[in-house]
Amino acid sequence: MTEKQKELLRNLVPIFTLLALVLGIAAFEPGFLKPANLVTVTADTMTLFLMASGATFVIMLGSIDLSIQAIASMTSCILAALLPMFGGTALLIALAGGATAGVLSGLVVNYFRIPSFVATLAIGGIMTSVAFWASNERSIYISDEDKSTWLNWATGTSVGIDHEVVVGLVVLATLSAILSLTRFGRLVRAVGSQERAVVASGINVNRIKFFAFVISGLMAGLAGIVMAARLGSGSPTLASEFLLPAIACIIVGGTAITGGVGSIWKTFVGALIIAVVRIGMTFVGITVLAQQIVFGLVLVIAVAMTIDRTKVSVVK
Amino acid sequence: MQPLLELRKVTKEFPGVRALDSVDLHVDRREVVGLIGENGAGKSTLVKILAGIHRIDSGSMLFDGSPASFRSPRDAFNHGLTMVFQEQSIIPTLTVAENIFLGREQEFLRFGVIDKRAMNAAAEVELAKVHLDCNPATKCASLDFAARQMVEIAKALSLDGRIDSDIVILLDEPTSVLERQEIDLLFEIIKELKAKASIIFISHRLDEVLQVSDRVYVLRDGAVVHETASTEATITGLHEHMVGRQLDHEYYRENKQRELFGESVLSVRNLTIEGEFRNLSFDLAEGQILGIAGVVGSGRESFARCLGGLLPPSNGEILVDGKPVRLNQPHQAVLAGFGFVPSERKSEGIVTGLSVSENMTLAAGDRFSRFGFIKFEQERTECQRWIDRLRIRTPSTKTPMQSLSGGNQQKVVLSKWQIFGSKVAVLDHPTRGIDVGAKEDVYELIREMADQGVAIILLGDTLEEVIGLSNSILVLKDGEVSAKFQAPVGAKPDQIELISKMV
Repeated sequence: MTEKQKELLRNLVPIFTLLALVLGIAAFEPGFLKPANLVTVTADTMTLFLMASGATFVIMLGSIDLSIQAIASMTSCILAALLPMFGGTALLIALAGGATAGVLSGLVVNYFRIPSFVATLAIGGIMTSVAFWASNERSIYISDEDKSTWLNWATGTSVGIDHEVVVGLVVLATLSAILSLTRFGRLVRAVGSQERAVVASGINVNRIKFFAFVISGLMAGLAGIVMAARLGSGSPTLASEFLLPAIACIIVGGTAITGGVGSIWKTFVGALIIAVVRIGMTFVGITVLAQQIVFGLVLVIAVAMTIDRTKVSVVK
Repeated sequence: MQPLLELRKVTKEFPGVRALDSVDLHVDRREVVGLIGENGAGKSTLVKILAGIHRIDSGSMLFDGSPASFRSPRDAFNHGLTMVFQEQSIIPTLTVAENIFLGREQEFLRFGVIDKRAMNAAAEVELAKVHLDCNPATKCASLDFAARQMVEIAKALSLDGRIDSDIVILLDEPTSVLERQEIDLLFEIIKELKAKASIIFISHRLDEVLQVSDRVYVLRDGAVVHETASTEATITGLHEHMVGRQLDHEYYRENKQRELFGESVLSVRNLTIEGEFRNLSFDLAEGQILGIAGVVGSGRESFARCLGGLLPPSNGEILVDGKPVRLNQPHQAVLAGFGFVPSERKSEGIVTGLSVSENMTLAAGDRFSRFGFIKFEQERTECQRWIDRLRIRTPSTKTPMQSLSGGNQQKVVLSKWQIFGSKVAVLDHPTRGIDVGAKEDVYELIREMADQGVAIILLGDTLEEVIGLSNSILVLKDGEVSAKFQAPVGAKPDQIELISKMV
């Protein structure tokens, strides 16, 4: 098999996995295939996709962002707390909060030169505290009035399509364009593939890493906003269970944890796979409490399948 | 007499390539066999089969008369086949003695604890075999590169005397990181070893192979195309068998050497990196090629890396076009006009995950993008032009970099700086590990670059290369300039003159 065929296969495996899972569920429950239902399932998946979309950049660098769930929870609190006071400006403040968390991760990684998993773990901890502080350690209810005025773009419906899906597709298109059409996107791939050669070519690698973390923080922030809009409240633990599935969907989609290989649509497909697996588990009767077991296993298997062994000759 | 090691009709296929095609090869007892071939000829596959890393598809391998198939390098070692790899397997955080006896600590166990004194004493014996004078208790990290290579060799030799059967020692490009003096020492050692072992010597330096071997095999495209006694072989003859064609023009393109240069581009004044080199000063003009000679540890590698912005200078001044420049970061060096071609192509020269064109425009990316968006068509056209001009063998501009051969990869690295428009090319071993045909293309390109007015600083893979290509040569010794030579065509200094200033 040639490299090209292998590459094609790698790209197709996630899609076929998704189709197989969808058909598998449809065999139990034919109603699952109704267009309206598929749209709903996709809409439910979009918060997970948003969270994972930005982090895809970081993973493609060969780094990781463990702060995304904390950032999402934090922005949900900021949004819920500030909406009554500032209205639409609260959205911008929340997004800026997410981006700031990314800025901090980027700075810590670049200037203290410590691995991203430690840096983002620490920043995530700080963001959780910010969330507790902003929310006074409780959930903050978002009034229906605020919701319909300011959050309809995220949770409303137009011509039968949930707005979450629209937001998700816009993010998919935008980030895909950044990754495949811009020099920044190419350099993200380059750094993930062979950082030393990129440095020796005179590229400011720190800047690339910095912006990747900012995009990750921004998208996690957006995910937090959409979650808050859907649930009608912000809470410091709103997204705590989302880290594992978010990382899982990036990897399941076919982006390699070792960096250099990946795309946003892969993450999109990965998110749908995770969502369908979750629905499937409910069908089969696995309790919500045990679902993280399955996500853990899926993550291990996906990493094992996509990892670039030439880069990881030694496992630590 | 029955050979110690014999391969019969050995064939090995990988998806899409027949790496070894019915190879017959034998090594007699106490014989040194040279193995040569261009990159991709099948040498590494052969080595990996002997080492037990790959299995043969068909054919057979006999060791000491009985069929053998090694399961791992350790298995091969236990049977009496030991090897020194091109890439070092020395662990820097362990001591010299611990490295030599890695995995065989049980020999020194006393009440379940390693008897360090006994181990160090045994290591002394092994070190004496390679004439390396160092304390076995020192950490390998504190040794220089050449000394580590000697430890590596000592490790391989430690098999001698530990098993009953005769042993085969496989040396895979052991000289590529050694300087003349150390190479001579290695050849002395090989001569001593011949009294008790058989040796397979792999190198791309034909003169060395002829000097040290009794018999030579030439591999090409996975097959043995020539076998000869060393006494009957000539370098040109072997070379022709290797590349499968005659050398049609002068190797280092001396006929294209410039003797008149343009404006002065680079002035280096009292450049110093503490502990590496001191007070380097010289001027370089457009189109001039300056060779830097020196043994490992002379400071020449650090000097090259300094100009690449990878090692900040501690003192001194660098002027490009008369203006002082700072070289604390690689991007400063690139902006100042330096194009650094690193000696470690695979880790610093190319980005394996990117395509050919993406690698080519890596440094000059700004020219091929607008508002951050890549101008794909313009990029493709420009890259295709360079591919044609440099005869880079690639199916397309989009081909992944890792599927190119080493020589073609190196051409891409060189074109990267040509496309960027570097004023000073710093070439750190530009022909390391690439095959003869590609080497000639690189020499041709270096001459072309000089013609276009690029000033070139060259750290050659061999002294011969430095002498052949350069207009003038700086010799470094212990971090200081020990001599300057002019090297115009027809009046080139010879190797002996240079070596006398190097050591």
